[in-house]
Amino acid sequence: MKMTYVALKSLFSSPATANYPAEPKTYYPGTRGHIVLEVSTCTLCKICEIRCPTGAIQVDREGKAWSIERMKCIQCGFCVDSCPRKCLSNDPQYTSPASEKITDRLDVPYEPPKRKPKPETPPA
Amino acid sequence: MSGWLSAILYILLAPVAGGLIAGIDRKLTARMQRRIGPPIFQPFYDLFKLIDKENVIVNLYQNLYLTGFLVFNIVAGTLFFAGGDLLLVIFALALSGIFLVLGAASATSPYSHIGAERELIQMMACEPMLLIAAMGLYLLPHSFQVRDILAVDKPLFLYLPGILFGLLYILTIKLRKSPFDLSTSHHAHQEIVKGITTEFSGPALAVVELAHWYETILILGMIYLFFAWNPWVAVPATIGLYLAEILVDNTNARLTWRWTVTSSWLIAAVAGAGNLIVLFYFLKAGF
Amino acid sequence: MSNRTIIPFGPQHPVLPEPIHLDLVVEDERVIEAIPSFGFIHRGLERLVEKKDFQEFTFVAERVCGICSFIHGMGYCQAVERVMGITLPPRADYLRTFWAELSRIHSHLLWMGLVADAFGFENLFMNSWRIRENILDIVEETTGGRVIFGAAKIGGTRRDVTNDKLKEIGRTLKTIEAELHAITDVFEQDYSVQQRLRGIGILSREDAFDLGAVGPTLRGSGEPMDARCEGYAAYRDIEVEPIVESDCDSYARCMVRIREIYQSFDIIRQVLCRMPDGETEIKVKGYPNGEHFARLEQPRGEVLYYVKGNGTKHLDRFRVRTPTFANIPPLLKMLQGCDLPDVPVIVLTIDPCISCAER
Repeated sequence: MKMTYVALKSLFSSPATANYPAEPKTYYPGTRGHIVLEVSTCTLCKICEIRCPTGAIQVDREGKAWSIERMKCIQCGFCVDSCPRKCLSNDPQYTSPASEKITDRLDVPYEPPKRKPKPETPPA
Repeated sequence: MSGWLSAILYILLAPVAGGLIAGIDRKLTARMQRRIGPPIFQPFYDLFKLIDKENVIVNLYQNLYLTGFLVFNIVAGTLFFAGGDLLLVIFALALSGIFLVLGAASATSPYSHIGAERELIQMMACEPMLLIAAMGLYLLPHSFQVRDILAVDKPLFLYLPGILFGLLYILTIKLRKSPFDLSTSHHAHQEIVKGITTEFSGPALAVVELAHWYETILILGMIYLFFAWNPWVAVPATIGLYLAEILVDNTNARLTWRWTVTSSWLIAAVAGAGNLIVLFYFLKAGF
Repeated sequence: MSNRTIIPFGPQHPVLPEPIHLDLVVEDERVIEAIPSFGFIHRGLERLVEKKDFQEFTFVAERVCGICSFIHGMGYCQAVERVMGITLPPRADYLRTFWAELSRIHSHLLWMGLVADAFGFENLFMNSWRIRENILDIVEETTGGRVIFGAAKIGGTRRDVTNDKLKEIGRTLKTIEAELHAITDVFEQDYSVQQRLRGIGILSREDAFDLGAVGPTLRGSGEPMDARCEGYAAYRDIEVEPIVESDCDSYARCMVRIREIYQSFDIIRQVLCRMPDGETEIKVKGYPNGEHFARLEQPRGEVLYYVKGNGTKHLDRFRVRTPTFANIPPLLKMLQGCDLPDVPVIVLTIDPCISCAER
């Protein structure tokens, strides 16, 4: 009898589910969706590469690029925590499903400081 | 003549109506579970997709048996809607069930074997009540012909409340709804996977689905008989009782086969046979 | 002549979404014996500790299980912190307890849904999971992950929750609790549910103890044993009374879990009331050197964590004894002589998490 009440009440209330792909899900601001790099402040210090538990991040100092294998990343946010320049962040949007492994490669316009001691090079 | 017309209409329209009913059933079930649920036409999409799939069979006889299942389901329904003999309808229905059991038992999977065993147990649980229902319907018009039963201008359900209740009880088994979805259920989360239909796939499964739609319409027709004296009552009553079946499906756990057999025989003996005996003596006394 | 059939149950069985294989030796529909086989998804997580540094390994430890994830991470951190002699700031302890109890609620709700599904009660399954979704929303809002919280770190927690937010969560939990009563009443009173749970899968108190059952499986057999009474994290301030049922059957185990959900709501209320202000983490210096056993209560029972450090950034040894592993011998005992339709119910009453057990 208890269940009849639950079933009938459910029948006359609005569904709790959403018509998902048609109605996009709203995420919380703190959701760890995917990693975003702010290229202008990145110094290619490689700490994220070392810290990443799955080895998804590759930093190429010569080629001046930062790349992430989206399918390898587990969204733990450890790189975000350990980034000394705070240029990494978590975006609430999940990585979209794909049939092949995507690697995102971002060019980082960072100029390493010259030998002469001088304040930080302004980002290009 | 009109009997044959309705029989032809049954053969042509029952799949459409049965599929629609299945779609509405799924939608309502979903809403009772606070889900949005599939579109109403989803069963048809499923059917067409199943037909499109590759025909994988375990042995040669499997599809033959399944065709038997479908054909005798249609035969039973055609006989019923042509106004034929109710007993023959029940026997044809039982025969179609046997074909399904044979089809499942011809595969080697232990799941489908146990499903087949359970289907037999379910048929054993259903048959006494179905026969009692036929006898009950016989008493007023003194005929097993459906067209004679339809012609009775008395509200049969008032004469046969126990039998109607017993019939509804076993229809839960026939419609494969909780709490009696033992041999197979609409979702595969069961200890015997999908039971009797485990080994059927693609077009074979489409045949099972189609036969099930024919069966649903036949079952609704049987419920209709009890209210047939006035169509304005009969149609809402049939719909209402089907909705009640959906509600029961959604408010019960799956029970065991022991419970199923014991309870359905008990109800057949008490409500069904009791009703039959009382009615018999009432009619004899001239009420 | 005996008419025995062997029914394969798992690892790809739809009722059992867990990679354990049981060969059920069946006579008609009565199970004579259940023969388990293991090792389908051994992932070698324990060995991975030699490759990952001890802070990174928190994330690996958390992924031992997908449902009781937070308590795994927390257990690992607790063990390492004990080795390194770190005392956590009180707020971190309380936050961890808060999340641990949330994870217990969502795990038990998940279990309620699964067991309802095992006895073919789809509506109950959907409704249990609907309520679980509300809990997951709170988790996602506060930690950023739905089931992998990723909130524990060595030396505290990775995130803080503002006091306003905590108050709001307290109010949300109250409405969830009220909604939950309608569902748990069904488990307690519904006739068809009782038919499927009462007297099924009897595990006597002696058997439960001898075979080393843990958690609700043990408490359902009348043994009051709950690792939270050890007083780790914030449980040192919060009284936890082990929930015990004495019927020894599936119904008793079900009731233990349902009452534990309400107990967890109560604990969360206390945690929110007493939540101290201050830091949520402290700086960790140096590397662990030494060994420690940590005992924690997971939704599924007691989990043991062993870590051994050698003064470098890699640990020497890491070992987990998950509750499901301890609950499998009692499960096999319960399966002997049951009916085939009761197998899924019995298997689920130990709340199996085989992926945990194999690591």
